[in-house]
Amino acid sequence: MRLLVIEDDATLRETLSRKLEEGGFAVEQAADGKEGLYFASEYPVDLAIIDLGLPEMSGIDIIKQVRADGHTYPILILTARDRWEDKVDGLSAGADDYVVKPFHFEEVNARVTALLRRSGGWASSELKAGPVTLDMSRQEVLINDEPIELTSFEYKIIEYLMVRAGTVISKAELTDRLYDQDFERDSNVIEVFIGRLRKKLDPDNTIKPIETLRGRGYRFALERNQVD
Amino acid sequence: MNSLSSRLLISVSILLLFFFGATIAVLDRAFTKAGEQARRDILDGHLVALLAAAEPDETGELVMPYRLREPRFGRIGSGLYAELRDPAGEVLWRSRSALGLEIPVGTIPELGNHLFGREALEDGTPLLTLSLAVDWELDNGAYRSYIFKVAESLDGFNAQIAGFRRQLFGWFAAVAATMLIAFSMLLRGLLKPLRQIETEITQIEEGGRGSLSRTFPTELKGVARNMNLLIDSERARSDRYRYTLDNLAHSLKTPLAAMRALLNDGVDQGLGKRFNEQIDRMDEIVRYQLRKPTASSADNLVLASVSVEKEVARLIDGLRKVYHDKHPEFDVRIDKGMQFRGDTGDFLELAGNLLDNACKWCERRVSIRVVPSVGAQAIASGMVLVVADDGPGIPEDAAKALLERGMRLDESTPGHGIGLAVVKDIAHSYGGQLTIQRSELGGAEITVSIPPVSRSS
Repeated sequence: MRLLVIEDDATLRETLSRKLEEGGFAVEQAADGKEGLYFASEYPVDLAIIDLGLPEMSGIDIIKQVRADGHTYPILILTARDRWEDKVDGLSAGADDYVVKPFHFEEVNARVTALLRRSGGWASSELKAGPVTLDMSRQEVLINDEPIELTSFEYKIIEYLMVRAGTVISKAELTDRLYDQDFERDSNVIEVFIGRLRKKLDPDNTIKPIETLRGRGYRFALERNQVD
Repeated sequence: MNSLSSRLLISVSILLLFFFGATIAVLDRAFTKAGEQARRDILDGHLVALLAAAEPDETGELVMPYRLREPRFGRIGSGLYAELRDPAGEVLWRSRSALGLEIPVGTIPELGNHLFGREALEDGTPLLTLSLAVDWELDNGAYRSYIFKVAESLDGFNAQIAGFRRQLFGWFAAVAATMLIAFSMLLRGLLKPLRQIETEITQIEEGGRGSLSRTFPTELKGVARNMNLLIDSERARSDRYRYTLDNLAHSLKTPLAAMRALLNDGVDQGLGKRFNEQIDRMDEIVRYQLRKPTASSADNLVLASVSVEKEVARLIDGLRKVYHDKHPEFDVRIDKGMQFRGDTGDFLELAGNLLDNACKWCERRVSIRVVPSVGAQAIASGMVLVVADDGPGIPEDAAKALLERGMRLDESTPGHGIGLAVVKDIAHSYGGQLTIQRSELGGAEITVSIPPVSRSS
């Protein structure tokens, strides 16, 4: 998942981004409103964390612009202005949730996870489809209640696919969203990882959780057990 | 009776009363005097005629002819009487008109003197009398004293004066009434701009108008301008106040957030934990102290009208997003067109904190009811805001503690804590209060009642 963090305080932005990266997200950082809006409109983003009090362009204006441009990814507001007036302005401009500074990182992480899951149409943080269960808060995958050992990159792929269960996702999109940098833009790598995932999730080749659509990409094929 | 126009009208009425009263008195006196003088002259004439008509008879006694030149002496009860007495007061002759009447003797003048007098008949009819004491030289050269007296009833004269007075009063009353009506109309015209200022200030207080208009006469332009300046500066002050607080909050909280992030959040023991506790304390102080109410009920001129329906709808839209997973059911009952007289931010704090707490604690259901509270003499209604949920409710002792001794930051209970303290502060600054009960839904029911705004006078 690729996150965008727009925050003008360097310490806060960098620490927050580092922790999110440690949690398995790819993170873009922007230090002011203009740069933030550029990233928010031009980069592939799954979720944006936007501070409301930004230089150059306010967070509210960025949100309005992003929504006006038709982007639907979830937006989490970071705000130091604790007044309801600001929160309501942010939420009605198109944000989906807010966190008030100074926050605990766990809180931001929980909100981000919940928003991502919600944007994929899942109601709880345990995504269940057939025998596969993915626990977003614990970053764990279980098959028939048996935990599966996955590397963090494998987990990122299955999480991305499963949150968007039923949707076709191209290799390019996967590379875009999962890599921090551009240097490994080799689609073969993705194929290798998908292959390894299939083996781990479905050693007997009976449940077939990941479908390959030739020339188009991959799709998590199992029916969701719970729909929002 | 404390209005300018009633004061002026009363003063003018008193002045008119005094002035017209004096005029009436002077005119009345002059008229009466002139009338009386005329009567005296006439009486004098009658007396002279009487003297001329008197003749001594052969015994030397004065006798009066049977028929006098003035016919009224001959007509019974005509009101004009004459008599002749000797110095002892014995009546020697009396005109036919005085038949059956007793004219009082009255004061007898000294010999050779006239004397006017005011006497009355037995039936009370007032008389103007003229007596003359004379020594009559008889044919034999001897002198004999006689008293001639003419009297005229004043009934007619008094009736004339009364008529005159009636006319006088009538006319002056009419003139005074006309003047007062004209004056009060003039006054209305003159005081119209003042009433306009009053109306406009009321409109400002009701929130329907931003400033005074600029169409006042020269004398009031300065007042209106200064009033507008005052209102503007009050507004600017309150905006600046909030802006400063917001900026302060922002500039304090971002470093706090950075500190917490740097501390490596997971630290649960040792120095990290203690630092985190201090950050929490600082955060609560900033949140509570810098979220003081913007306006208060005393700032009548600065307050605007907030559409309760619109703002609550905005809040609930936002809260639906925030509590997306919990999916609370909102039961909203707001009187149509309900307005809150105050600062929009303050209203959002009131409703936002209460609704947020309710969403946080509810099982499923959150209800909000807003009704106006009205009062006599109020220019804008107050508000009763009730937010209830079906959660666990607030323990009675915690509620009591919060309401009784106010909020102590270091003792704040999580969840309902700071938000409720902010709500309480705002309610108080608008002269209202906060009550906590158990709701019909089973959870907490928090009522904020803001009293109506009364005319500032």
